[in-house]
Amino acid sequence: MDDPWWRSLLAYRALFLGLALLTLFFRLLPSGQTPGSLPGPDVLLCLILAWMVRRPEYLPLSVIVIVILMEDLLLQRPPGLWSAIVVLATEFLRGRVTLTRELNFPVEWMLVSGIMLGMMLVNRLVLAIVFVPQPGFGLVLVQSLWSIAIYPGVVLLSQLAFNLHKPAMGEVDRAGRRL
Amino acid sequence: MGLLGLFLLWRIDSPRVERLRADLIDTLVPNLEWAMRPVTLLSGMAEDFQSYSRIYEQNQELKRELQQMKAWKEAALQLEQKNARLLDLNNVRLDPKLTHVTGVVMADSGSPFRQSVLLNVGARDGIRDGWATMDGIGLVGRISGVGERTSRVILLTDANSRLPVTIQPSLQTALLSGENSPLPPLEFIEDSDEVRPGDRVVTSGDGGVFPAGLLVGQVVLGSDKRLRVDLAADFQRLEFLRVLRSHDFEVISDAGGLIVPPVTVPLPDTSAEALESAAGEAPTETEGGNVEALGSGLSEGGDAAATPGADDG
Repeated sequence: MDDPWWRSLLAYRALFLGLALLTLFFRLLPSGQTPGSLPGPDVLLCLILAWMVRRPEYLPLSVIVIVILMEDLLLQRPPGLWSAIVVLATEFLRGRVTLTRELNFPVEWMLVSGIMLGMMLVNRLVLAIVFVPQPGFGLVLVQSLWSIAIYPGVVLLSQLAFNLHKPAMGEVDRAGRRL
Repeated sequence: MGLLGLFLLWRIDSPRVERLRADLIDTLVPNLEWAMRPVTLLSGMAEDFQSYSRIYEQNQELKRELQQMKAWKEAALQLEQKNARLLDLNNVRLDPKLTHVTGVVMADSGSPFRQSVLLNVGARDGIRDGWATMDGIGLVGRISGVGERTSRVILLTDANSRLPVTIQPSLQTALLSGENSPLPPLEFIEDSDEVRPGDRVVTSGDGGVFPAGLLVGQVVLGSDKRLRVDLAADFQRLEFLRVLRSHDFEVISDAGGLIVPPVTVPLPDTSAEALESAAGEAPTETEGGNVEALGSGLSEGGDAAATPGADDG
């Protein structure tokens, strides 16, 4: 085995949890948002989608649910709804992993952008149906656009720093099975 | 799907789920504090460093302001003496129950759509929902959500915040409604012609949630020609916040009985003269200052009621 230990599945899962906690931590810092300023990107969402397109096996359903539900609860969002939407989106991607493996990056980016906008719209729709007061549409749209804009950055960082890439043709895992 | 179930449960029975949320924050966030402290300190130092680079301009500016402040200080001293004299004359006692608990801001919500902060005081320190929170100068928000060791303050700038206020010196009442902007607008002003930019805005105490007379800020005219409030509290750097212990408000339990003269007068017909005469007789037949005052009040009421009828006739 020439693979070092940090290539293993569990190590990547732990890494993801660490990154998720880190983003959450920075959003909780009291150095905070001045009211009225434009919202920044949703880094965690980018991270989840980027990893899901590349290596879905690193992000089991349970990990995603735990991370997003915790974010829901800590950031004063309606608990459960956004988690459910993220789960739906990731399962949608997981089901199409053979398709996304063939896509080149611009097409993948477009696909992910579409998913992000769709998630945002579904979220607003459900909130509107159950009469929960919502922030202005412009603010949310800006946040989605920001997320779309930094998505390539997140992908690049994942590839360079964590060696995360789509499995190549005929690549095998440590046990020798084909990916 | 369990998650959607949770969402529906939250929508139906929000308080229970919110309590769960408060418990979670209560256990998680204080544990993160050791990590948050240095990062916050570093960012504070970076900001300070930026201000060092503008030190000369600042110095000039401060000197100018100091000059103005000296004039103000003189005015303030005179006013303070005058105020003390007037208070003495009126024999005013300040409310002894209005004490406060001071807390340190631990974290903010981190979300651009929710303007709130977490304090490190909670139910353990006797904090309760709805109490007013101030920094050294002005009102900051209200407690909404109390955990054992933490509590959440919804800021005045949050889109869910509504605060009944009085605008001085015209004593117009209005509603300060947050909308995620640094200058929240005033709504439902009785007569907006009487309100000028620069007027003081204080809490009115209507609705019985906040004590009256807490400083909120100054009226300014927004760029969209709406009247807005420049908040007195420094929302850029909320660090130490005071939670004002407001006492329980008294509730008026009965609907109020009918106040009648103690003598049983056979109910007269509705003409004003009969009412007046009945009221006039009442004090003569009984002793006691209370009843007398009541009788005269009633007779005035009778007069007032009589005049429009006379006009009509």
